[in-house]
Amino acid sequence: MSSDITIIKGNFSTELPLPLAPGIRAGFPSPAQDYLHDTLDFNNDMIHHKEATFYARVDGDSMRDAGILPGDIAVIDRSLDPRDGDIVVAFIDGEFTIKRLDLTHRPDGYIELHPANPSYKTIRIDNPDQFRVWGVIIWTIHNWRNY
Amino acid sequence: MYGIIDCDNCYVSCERVFRPDLEGKPVVVLSNNDGCVVARSNEAKALGIKAGMPYFKLQEQFPDRKIAVFSSNYELYAELTGRVIDIIRQEAPSYFRYSIDECFVYLEGMQDINLKEWGENLHRRIFKSVGMPVSIGIGPNKTLAKLASHFAKKHPGYRHCCMIDTDDKRIKALKLFPIEDVWGIGRRYTTRLKEYGINTAYDFAQHTIGWLHATFHNIVVERTWRELNGDDCVPNEQLAAKKSICTSRSFPGMIDDFAQLRTHVSNYAARCAEKLRQQGSVAGIVSIFLSTNPFREDLPQCWSFREQRLITPTSSTTTIVQTASALLEKIFRKGYQYKRAGVIVMGVGPKSPIQQDLFDHNAEQFQKMRRLDEVIDRINRLQGSETIVLGAQQYTSRDKDGNAAGKAQVFANAIRHDFRSPNPTTRWTDIIRLK
Repeated sequence: MSSDITIIKGNFSTELPLPLAPGIRAGFPSPAQDYLHDTLDFNNDMIHHKEATFYARVDGDSMRDAGILPGDIAVIDRSLDPRDGDIVVAFIDGEFTIKRLDLTHRPDGYIELHPANPSYKTIRIDNPDQFRVWGVIIWTIHNWRNY
Repeated sequence: MYGIIDCDNCYVSCERVFRPDLEGKPVVVLSNNDGCVVARSNEAKALGIKAGMPYFKLQEQFPDRKIAVFSSNYELYAELTGRVIDIIRQEAPSYFRYSIDECFVYLEGMQDINLKEWGENLHRRIFKSVGMPVSIGIGPNKTLAKLASHFAKKHPGYRHCCMIDTDDKRIKALKLFPIEDVWGIGRRYTTRLKEYGINTAYDFAQHTIGWLHATFHNIVVERTWRELNGDDCVPNEQLAAKKSICTSRSFPGMIDDFAQLRTHVSNYAARCAEKLRQQGSVAGIVSIFLSTNPFREDLPQCWSFREQRLITPTSSTTTIVQTASALLEKIFRKGYQYKRAGVIVMGVGPKSPIQQDLFDHNAEQFQKMRRLDEVIDRINRLQGSETIVLGAQQYTSRDKDGNAAGKAQVFANAIRHDFRSPNPTTRWTDIIRLK
């Protein structure tokens, strides 16, 4: 019997366990370490830089065709260097916006932020040196059913 | 070597994280109840706005200026500075938080590392991850590290990190440094020192310790003198003097037993809670430190510090003792002979006016209070703080004759914070919105 979805035991603990602080000399390795991967913890496994991670709510439908819908929660990691094609958060004209970063025109002196919805316009940044991406989106979470 | 990491215009920088449009513009943060200015951006300083200026004067003196004004939002500041501390903890062998926006690090065992580069990288990482600009000073002791951090803050050429690691650099820095800005000197001594013609840190360091002792009879001043001359003698608990309460002791012998240590730490914690209640304050951060005997070089040495933010600032003995014990469990290492321990509570602020009677010393009431605390904390954590407040926390509005008019006004609304920013890192309702 095969099934489309493999159910794995999850750990829905709300805690974000702190990593062992470096510099502390831990003598004997803890026996608990062997079991570290026995459960899956979203906080632990999906967030790699907790001090740089911020959450946001998607308000508009400008990224609709990329599968990012109004009401979704976006998980932002500010410590990552933005790469071409990343979905990023930028602060433009007084508001935070979510768009796909296009760095292909960088040699021509500008960069672009693309929506994923034909009814929105591409944003062109003509002074890329002064432009700062606020953070890179690593996950979006869509809720399918309420309790 | 020691380092200090100091957040630049901390509260203003916190506000700017979620308001990038305020970069390069004058911004001020007001004290509790919107009374006076407690933090200023560089642009606000350049306009001539002074720290402590009452808000109404600000309105009078700058009626046409566009100055962004915020009520203080300690929930936000504690969360963002906590992230800065988390990064420091990953990058430094040991650290000691001095106040909400300053943190000392002890850079032992880093002989092979270029510390100036280390500092520049640390700034870069903190700024990129959290959005907080910091200035870093590195020196052979805490006073010189602090002095170096002033240079890092003032001169962009240092790229946010200044290091005093040679005698030449030390003397050069002292000659440029005004005596009133030296850490540990203060206004009172500055006036007297200037009467003796002492204007720079260098003038001060050139006097003899004998003259200093005869003139001032003050141990802090003497320690400062020793440190400016290169010694390392300011103890950790002197660091905790700023807007925090510290209870610490050296043990008569040395202790390597957890249970015994916990008894000591619990007592220090209870003492801190008492001190808080005596002055009518609550604390938002509980921290503890442990250290071995530095004079016993034959024994393994360790200097540990850990802190915990509280969901609701408190002066409750139970909460503070429990938090301190939990912290001890985290930092305690077997095999060390501990000589000294202490509990420091930080983020000390005024208590709401009505909690006065809650935390008295009745044991049974403590138990009840504890359970109530837990339930309230849990609900407020899930639903946003101040969802539930104690009945006593509600001001009852009065009619014109001064009688209670029935409808209660929630405490949260009774304190003035007209310009408070949202809490995008601690409340789901306040997370940033993306268009």
